[in-house]
Amino acid sequence: MTRFGTKYIGGLALAVAGITALAACSSSNSSSSTPTNTNTTPGVTTEPGSIGGIPAAGTASGTAGNITYGYLAGNAPNWILPIIPAADNSVYNSFVFGWQLWRPTWFTWNGSSPAVNDSMSPANAPTSSNGGKTFTMTFKNWKWSDGQPVGAADMAFTLDIIKAALKESPANWANYVPGYFPDTLTSMSTPDASTLVLNMAKPVNPTWLEEDIIDIGMMPAHAWAKASANGPTLDYTVPANAKKIWDFLNAQSKSVNTYATNPLWQVVYGPYKLTAYNATTGSFTMSPNTAYSGPHANPMSTFTGVPFTSDAAQFNAIKSGSVDVAAIPAADNPQIPALKGEGYNYYGLPAWGDYFAAFNFKDTTGDFNNIASQLYFRQAMQHLEDQPGQIKAFLNGYGDPLSGPIGAYPQSPFLPANGKTVLYPFSISTATDLLKAHGWTINANGTDVCSSAGTGANQCGSGIPAGTKLAFNLIYNAVSPITQEVEDLASNAKAAGINITLSASNFNFMIQNYIDPASPANINKWAMEDFGGESFSTYPTSFGLFNTGGSGQIGDYSDPKADALINASISSPNPSAVMDELSYLDTTVPVLWQPLRDHVYAWKTNISATTPKAFENLTQYDPTPEFWYVTK
Amino acid sequence: MSAYLLRRIGTSIIVLIGISIFMYLLLHSVFPSPARIALGLRANQAQIDAFNKEHGFDRPVFEQYLTYINGLVHGNLGYSYAENQTVASLFQERLARSIYLSGISLIFAIAIAIPLGIFQAVRRNSLGDNVATSAAFILYSMPSFFLGLILIQVFALSFPILGFEASQSTSIWTVIGDWHDMLLPILTLTLITVANFSRYMRSSSIDVLAQDYIKVARAKGLPERLVLSRHMVRNASLPMVTLIGLFLPALLAGNLVTETLFNYPGLGLLFFNSLGKEDYPVLLAYTLIGAVFVVLGNFVADIALTVADPRIRLA
Repeated sequence: MTRFGTKYIGGLALAVAGITALAACSSSNSSSSTPTNTNTTPGVTTEPGSIGGIPAAGTASGTAGNITYGYLAGNAPNWILPIIPAADNSVYNSFVFGWQLWRPTWFTWNGSSPAVNDSMSPANAPTSSNGGKTFTMTFKNWKWSDGQPVGAADMAFTLDIIKAALKESPANWANYVPGYFPDTLTSMSTPDASTLVLNMAKPVNPTWLEEDIIDIGMMPAHAWAKASANGPTLDYTVPANAKKIWDFLNAQSKSVNTYATNPLWQVVYGPYKLTAYNATTGSFTMSPNTAYSGPHANPMSTFTGVPFTSDAAQFNAIKSGSVDVAAIPAADNPQIPALKGEGYNYYGLPAWGDYFAAFNFKDTTGDFNNIASQLYFRQAMQHLEDQPGQIKAFLNGYGDPLSGPIGAYPQSPFLPANGKTVLYPFSISTATDLLKAHGWTINANGTDVCSSAGTGANQCGSGIPAGTKLAFNLIYNAVSPITQEVEDLASNAKAAGINITLSASNFNFMIQNYIDPASPANINKWAMEDFGGESFSTYPTSFGLFNTGGSGQIGDYSDPKADALINASISSPNPSAVMDELSYLDTTVPVLWQPLRDHVYAWKTNISATTPKAFENLTQYDPTPEFWYVTK
Repeated sequence: MSAYLLRRIGTSIIVLIGISIFMYLLLHSVFPSPARIALGLRANQAQIDAFNKEHGFDRPVFEQYLTYINGLVHGNLGYSYAENQTVASLFQERLARSIYLSGISLIFAIAIAIPLGIFQAVRRNSLGDNVATSAAFILYSMPSFFLGLILIQVFALSFPILGFEASQSTSIWTVIGDWHDMLLPILTLTLITVANFSRYMRSSSIDVLAQDYIKVARAKGLPERLVLSRHMVRNASLPMVTLIGLFLPALLAGNLVTETLFNYPGLGLLFFNSLGKEDYPVLLAYTLIGAVFVVLGNFVADIALTVADPRIRLA
C-alpha cells in the first residue's frame, strides 16, 4: 500500500495513500546506465542516481521573499481537511497544500530518502509492544497557531472523526482498507497529554502504521470539535457527536471558495497559514505561521502555489523566469542542461514507485493464464526488456533500470540486496535459451510453439498443451514513452519468436476495463497491459498490489509465498520483513518491470535553503518551503 | 413569423433532448462509472461501491438520466466530484472569461476580415490581394496551438515584451485591462479567425461585384465608393452573418486549445481538465450548453439574415 492516491500530472498520476498510476512522462541524462552523478563541484549535493546538483546554501542575507512554486499540469488543490477522502487523494492536496498547514505525524520524506524526518515530525518515533498489538505515540511540545499544545488529544480526536467518517462511507478516508486500521483499533487511551496508546485486535507492523496508515495531519480538538461554526465544543468520543463533527468539517472542506477566509483553517501547526486561495485556478498564497515549532529558515518566505494547466505553459514559465520553483515537464527534459544558463539550478531523481506492464494471470485466450504462471516465461520476458536501451533512446538518458517493486534510486533503507542490480538483464539469447529449456521450439521472427507439453523441468508447464503458440496481445496507454517502450519490447520479443500484438488505448479506459477484479467480463480480452506504473509508500510493501485478492490487483497475481511475506510485512514487527517480501518479488517477476523516469525540478539560482533536503524532496512532490530563502 | 418561431423552438427542444440522451448514453456506455478514475487504482470495492451509491452510479442508466434531467429543469447542473464545487459555480466563474476572450477576438476578426475581404475582391489579383491570400492560407492551415506556440516563443520568450500565459486574475475587469498577458491569446484567435472570415468575405464580394445591379449602379455613374458602400458591402456580408452565428458556440463555450495553451481559466480549459478526470457532471453540462449554443447560433443567424436581407422571409 502506499501514501499516494490518484491524480494526474501530465500523463503521470500520483496518489497519496494507495497505489497510483505513473503513466507517460520521461526524462533525460545521466542516471541510467551511469547511475552515479558525475557532478563533483565542491559543496554541491548529489546522490547516486541523481542528475543535476544542489549548490551549497547561499548567504542568507536576511531575506525572505515570496517564492512561487509551479505545479505539474492541472491538479489544483481542492481539499483542505487532513482527513482526505479517496476521491480527493492526491499529492497536491496533501504534500503540496495540506501538509504546509498540518504536518503529518511523521514527516516523510527525509530529503530524497524514503524515510521519516524526525526533526520535521510533531510526534516522536512510535514504539510497539504487546507483540505488535500496542502502538504508543508520544508528541513533542509543538504549538497550534493559537498557542494551544499539539498533543495526544488532537490525534485521538482525528482518529475518532476518521471512524465516524468511515461509518458514513468507506470512501471518506483514502487510507482505509476494510478489515485493517481503524477496524482493528480496539481502544485508545491518553495516559498524559503527550502520549497516545493505540490497542489493536491483531499485530501490526509499526513502520507500516507509522509511514503509511496514520501518517496524517492532526486536527485541533479544542477548535474543531463542533457541529457548526459558532456551536459549542462537543465530546467527540461520543459517536453521535463525532458524526456531527465530521459532517460539519466535511461540508466546510467542500466549500472551496472559503478556504482562505474560514476561521477553522487558520488553526494550524504546520509552517504556514493560508492567506489567499483562488478556487478557479487553484493558486494559493501561504504566509509563515509565526508559532511554527519545527525547524525552518529565519525569516521564512511566503509560499505561493501557481498551477499550470499545461506542460507547455509550465515550461514557458520557467524559461521566462516567472516561476521560482517548478518541475520540468518530461517532454522538455532535453532542454534541462540549458537551464543553468537561464538562471536555474536543477535536480532530479526517479519519483518513488515503479513502472511496469502487467501480466493477466486469468486470461485463458491461447492458454495465456497457464503461460504467464510459468516463472521461466516471465523471466524470459524480463530478459527481453531492454531497459538501458530504452532509457537512452526514449528517456533521453533520464532514468534508471528497475527490477522489482522499488528501484535502487532513491535509496530506500528497505532495498534488498538483489534489488541493487537488474536480475534479468536484457538478452534475447538468454530469453530464447530459457524457452528452449522448457520445451518450446523457437521460431525467431515467427512464433514459438510448445513442443514438449508437461510439468517436467524441461517441459512447457501445467496446462500448456503441445502446439500452443507464444502469441498474445498487449494493450498500452498510447503516450510517450510507453508507446515506444512496448514497441521496443514487441520487436525484441519477435526476435525471440514471441508474437505480441500491440493495441493502443488510454489510461482511463484501461484502468476501468482491464483490471481483473473490477472487470471480470473482460478477463479474456487482455494478456498484458501497460498503463504506466504506480507509486509506493515510503514503507514499500506491495500489500494490495500483489497479495491474493488485494484491492489494487491488476492481473490477479497469486503466490502463496508472496502472500505470506506480504502479510508479514504488515503484521510482523520484524523490520526486515518487507525486505524479504521485496527480495522475493524481485525474483518472481509478478509484472514486467520497466525503467524508472527521473522527476526533475528547477529552482532559480537566487533561491537557497538551509538544508539541501529542502530541494531533494522536491523530486518526490514534497515541497518544504519553510527552508527556502532568497539570497539576492 | 410567430408560427416559424414556435416551430423552431419546438424542434430545438427536441434536438436538445436528443443530444442529451445521446451524450448521456455515450458517456455511460464507455465508462459506466468514473469511480476507478476518481478513487484511484488502490480503491477497494467497498470504497467504489460507496462512491457509486453516493453519486447514483449504482442505479439504472435511464433512472440516472431522468434524475439528471430533473435537476437540469430545476436549474441544477450537478456537482463536480473532481473539483468539489457545483457545476453552476464552476461555469459562473469561467463564463465571463471565455466570452471576453472569444468575443474580443471575434470583434477584431470581423473588423479586420470584412474590409480586408472587400479590398481583396476589389483589387483582385493585385499584389495586395496575393499577399493577403498567401497570409490567409498560411494562417488558415495552421493549427491554433502551433500559431500560439510561435507567438509565445517570439513575443514572450525570445523578445519578452508580452506575457507567456493569459491573465490569471479572478476579476474579469482586471483580465480586460491586462493587455500585457491577454494580447497573445487574443492575437492567436484573431489571426486564425481573420484567415477564415476574410476568405469568405473575399469570395462573397467577388460574387456580388459580378451582379447586374452593381453594373447598373456603375452604368448610372454612381461613384465607386458609393457602389461599394451602398450596394456591395451589405449584400456581400450576408454569408458572414451565418458564419458569425455558427461562431457563437465557440464564443460562449470557450476555446479549448487556446485556453489550454495559454493557461487561461475559461470554460474550454475546464472541459479539458474534466475530460482527464472523467468529471461526468461537468462534461455533460458543457456538452449540453454547447448544444444549446449551436442551436441558438443557428437560430440567431436565421433571424439576422431576415433583418439584413428583406428578400428572405421565414415561414
